[in-house]
Amino acid sequence: MSSHTASSSNGGNGSGDSGVPKRNSKRPKYSKFTQQELPACKPILTPRWVVSTFMLIAIVFIPIGIACLIGSRDVVEVVERYETECIPVLNRTNTVQFIQSDADKTCNISMTIPKRMKQPIYVYYQLDNFYQNHRRYVKSRSDEQLKSASKENDTSACKPEDIANGRGAIVPCGLIAWSLFNDTYSFSRQNQSLTVNKKGIAWKSDKQKRFGKNVFPKNFQGGGLVGGATLNESIPLNEQEDLMVWMRTAALPTFRKLYGKIEVDLEEKEVINVTLMNYYNTYSFNGKKKLVLSTTSWIGGRNDFLGIAYLTVGMISFALSMGFTIVYFVKPRRLGDPTFLSWNRGPGSH
Amino acid sequence: MKHQLLALAVVCASVICCRVSPKQKALVTRLVKEGTGKTTLAIGDGANDVGMIQEADIGVGISGVEGMQAVMASDFSISQFRFLERLLVVHGHWCYKRIAQMICYFFYKNIAFGLTLFYFEAFTAFSGQSVYNDWYMLLFNVILTSLPVISLGVFEQDVSSEVCLQFPALYQQGPKNLFFDWYRILGWMGNGLYTSLVIFILNIMIFYNQAFRAEGQTADMAAMGATMFSCIITAVNCQIALTMSHFTWIQHLFVWGSVTTWYLFLLLFGMLPPYYSEDAHKILVEALGPAPIYWCTILLVTVACNLPYLAHISFQRCFNPMDHHIIQEIKYYKKDVEDQHMWRRERSKARQETKIGFTARVDAKIRQLKGKLQRRSSTLILPNCMPSPCQ
Repeated sequence: MSSHTASSSNGGNGSGDSGVPKRNSKRPKYSKFTQQELPACKPILTPRWVVSTFMLIAIVFIPIGIACLIGSRDVVEVVERYETECIPVLNRTNTVQFIQSDADKTCNISMTIPKRMKQPIYVYYQLDNFYQNHRRYVKSRSDEQLKSASKENDTSACKPEDIANGRGAIVPCGLIAWSLFNDTYSFSRQNQSLTVNKKGIAWKSDKQKRFGKNVFPKNFQGGGLVGGATLNESIPLNEQEDLMVWMRTAALPTFRKLYGKIEVDLEEKEVINVTLMNYYNTYSFNGKKKLVLSTTSWIGGRNDFLGIAYLTVGMISFALSMGFTIVYFVKPRRLGDPTFLSWNRGPGSH
Repeated sequence: MKHQLLALAVVCASVICCRVSPKQKALVTRLVKEGTGKTTLAIGDGANDVGMIQEADIGVGISGVEGMQAVMASDFSISQFRFLERLLVVHGHWCYKRIAQMICYFFYKNIAFGLTLFYFEAFTAFSGQSVYNDWYMLLFNVILTSLPVISLGVFEQDVSSEVCLQFPALYQQGPKNLFFDWYRILGWMGNGLYTSLVIFILNIMIFYNQAFRAEGQTADMAAMGATMFSCIITAVNCQIALTMSHFTWIQHLFVWGSVTTWYLFLLLFGMLPPYYSEDAHKILVEALGPAPIYWCTILLVTVACNLPYLAHISFQRCFNPMDHHIIQEIKYYKKDVEDQHMWRRERSKARQETKIGFTARVDAKIRQLKGKLQRRSSTLILPNCMPSPCQ
């Protein structure tokens, strides 16, 4: 790095504009950029700024925290764990064998509504200990194949669920589709059934752009082992909403996926009877299955954490602003006081 | 013999070696460098100085009458000897601070980013799945966080160049290594660790398993990854804005522009067909943008990450201000204009005077005479002259 500091430098005042050079000068053209004299704002952290910044944060965050907490508390959620309940008592020592057998898998559970739930009420299935975010699982799909019928044989990433034995490519291929969740739920209250709307649960961009409207399932679950649901071969992929929802891999090993919507209000203390078909095998890996009914608010589902976190940060900020105010009154330091310069403070300071 | 020479030389104010050959110049420099263990600087303008320039830790070459050999062998080159003062006291001081801040900040931002990836592995059965799309990770160090650091490293000034020349004592912050000691390095790394924990834990707990929108959809890995990354970009860029003390239009452009670039990128990347964007297709427009929880999370995480640093610098400025803080305040409140006497007095204190030899005796005599003059004419207003002994 060479610094051609052509400006004058006698310990002085002013920038480098000394007089007209007498000889043929090699001085480079002056510009504010090269001389590092661009106009700049140089804010300094005065006590007023410190206290007002912390106070501003507190004033903004505490109401937001309260709003988030209210939004979350407004949500009514009913969770029912059923994977152990839905195995008959006799088979509970050998759940894997039961789930893989042809026995009747119908199960009846009941859910009590704690508070009035206004429609739409969202029905989710929750799986625990299911690692949809495992690297090998996540890459086991073929987006090209899902989109267009001509790319049917583009199954290289999908091994081992790529080709059905001797019958051609599996559509949709890969482990994600292969492990499609297949428990079904039907709801009724006081012997009157509640319809579950299963349309409109997938993202619009999935329906329009990622899954083709002339791609039909083919040889699905034909690779030897059956991993989950089967698909209706006459419905194109962009209308298979359960598949589209399932293929959006979840981030955590505990996740919920939207199953459908109930479009009537449910009253407090009502008992909802659920007839579910317990097909899905989570017993091989000690996974849990739960059925969730939940309303939503502007913030989504029930999670107090956001509101609590906002309140915490707001309170800490308020405490800091109070603390700094006290400190500035008790032990003020006059700004620009030269007695604090290191050569005035005596030895051993910087 | 040479150790005796060294022992004598270091107690002298200055040593003149005349009639030395180029080799001897280099040997003397080496003797001082290795004998005292201090950083040495050599300045010269001719071909006979090349050995000495290369031997010293810092070599300064003067381009001019004697040709360009010294310039080509040196680390820095200037055109006149008197520019050495500016080179050291202004540019040396600025560069030390800039480089120290740049390195610390680089460690901080990469630790903040990289550790979130490691934490996520605990949730993926350690399979190696990254929570971010590959393109986010590629652009992190290339476009999204590199330009603000460059502007910090190129334009940052704690005090202006006039003040640096008026207060040479500020240069001592460099040799005393006040800005790159282990305390500061580990502090920044700790800040990075804290930031990564805050970003990760807050995002995981907020997007846990419930719906994140009023329409009931739950967040998949793409949504969580994009949110976490948005938090990182915003937090890290706000941190550098807190670190900087000199804001030109370039810094504003780069810092706020980096955050804007990230959102633009997310928008444009989402518009690409799913062959390229995979799960990030339309993620900002469709999934995250309309969700209030996304914006609330970014605001919360940014403030939570920067709050400790803000408290720390406020505390330090209040109780333990450093010299350049005081001088910044004096300039900000224009106390140097109001109280010129104080300003001149501090400036003279900031120049270390020689304490031994003939020069010191001359200085003492001048001070004595000046004292007598001031006592006699104490009611007169003194002309605006500078009491510094030598230039």
